[in-house]
Amino acid sequence: MAVETIAPPQLTHEAGDRYQFTVHDYHRMAEAGILDEKQRVELIEGDIVWMAPLGGTHVESVMVANRPFVHAVGDHAFVSIQSSVRLNDLSEPQPDMAIVRKRRYGGKLPTPEDVFLIVEIADTSLRFDRDRKVALYAASDIPEVWIVDVNAGVLLRFAEPIDGQYRIADRHERGATLMLSALPSATIAVSDFFPE
Amino acid sequence: MAVEMIAPPQLQQEQITEAGGRYTFTVDDYYRMAEHGILPPDARVELIEGEILTMSPVGGKHVTCFHTVMRQIDRQLDSTVTVRVQSPVRLNNHTEPEPDVAVIRERDYGDGHPGPDDVFLLVEVSDTTLRFDRNRKIPVYAAAGIPEVWIVDLNAAVVTRYTGPNDGAYDLQERFRRGQSLTIDALPAVTGVVDDILPKG
Repeated sequence: MAVETIAPPQLTHEAGDRYQFTVHDYHRMAEAGILDEKQRVELIEGDIVWMAPLGGTHVESVMVANRPFVHAVGDHAFVSIQSSVRLNDLSEPQPDMAIVRKRRYGGKLPTPEDVFLIVEIADTSLRFDRDRKVALYAASDIPEVWIVDVNAGVLLRFAEPIDGQYRIADRHERGATLMLSALPSATIAVSDFFPE
Repeated sequence: MAVEMIAPPQLQQEQITEAGGRYTFTVDDYYRMAEHGILPPDARVELIEGEILTMSPVGGKHVTCFHTVMRQIDRQLDSTVTVRVQSPVRLNNHTEPEPDVAVIRERDYGDGHPGPDDVFLLVEVSDTTLRFDRNRKIPVYAAAGIPEVWIVDLNAAVVTRYTGPNDGAYDLQERFRRGQSLTIDALPAVTGVVDDILPKG
């Protein structure tokens, strides 16, 4: 009988590698007052990183999009605004909007299985959102991510995660209407993110 | 009348709050993390410019080397100077590394750690950590005004001495090989013999 050997997970700690914090560490830092509640940070792959200060354009985009989303998802989902989603033991971002399954969360945060769509409004954070967060969401099997580039007036859609990457990545201008891939009854127009 | 130039305020310590910019910790945050068990007691970490960085596991060759350096230096010191191994040195509010060897002023440190003004020499032994020691720690030591650093490169069998901290770099870098010896700038009576520092080859 063949004996199968399974290699233990490699924990290579090279000098100078950043110490990675777990979501548990992260919450305890807040409890201990090491992270101030007023500080806008999120946990991304064990790193505590700053979130961009909320500018007026950013805030307005979230405000105007809120109602169309609530209408569009109806009784099928919650629209969670600027709240945490626990992706895994090392990542707990705070996307601008998360459309999540309607259920009782019992004091716990939504996890990837709950998420239909994540929306990031990018004012000054486009590069970080597009390069680092999209990769993280894909690795977490988040079915769809929209990045609204408020400066360019376009929406970047990422959908169908396969092997840590989105198979679909396309760009939609104002005038376009999109259907949520995981919630086909819900449609949102790109213009819904922009004030009249 | 002479016009007095006033240096602009130091922006170095300010947190960069660009999206995705890393959150940096103070020495105080770092200790509270340990206090609350967020950093486990056995975590081998150091605080460098507000980042908590892991230290590589210490191999036998590495330990033997810094122990030898410590013994060699220690026996040449008078009572005003002392030597510590793998102990914290507080460079500023965001940086507290643990160099392999620190030659410092002898005084009562109470519950604090030596600061840059206490340091005559720091030594880092590099087995697998050469790049990090040279590229990250040297500039940090220079910026803090540490007067002298030796990096013992076990693989290349070279001791590099850095002196003359100047604006985040050292003006002078000298390499010493087997057969040579070097002294500590601030303590000219103290000599390091490269053949004794490096493993018997």
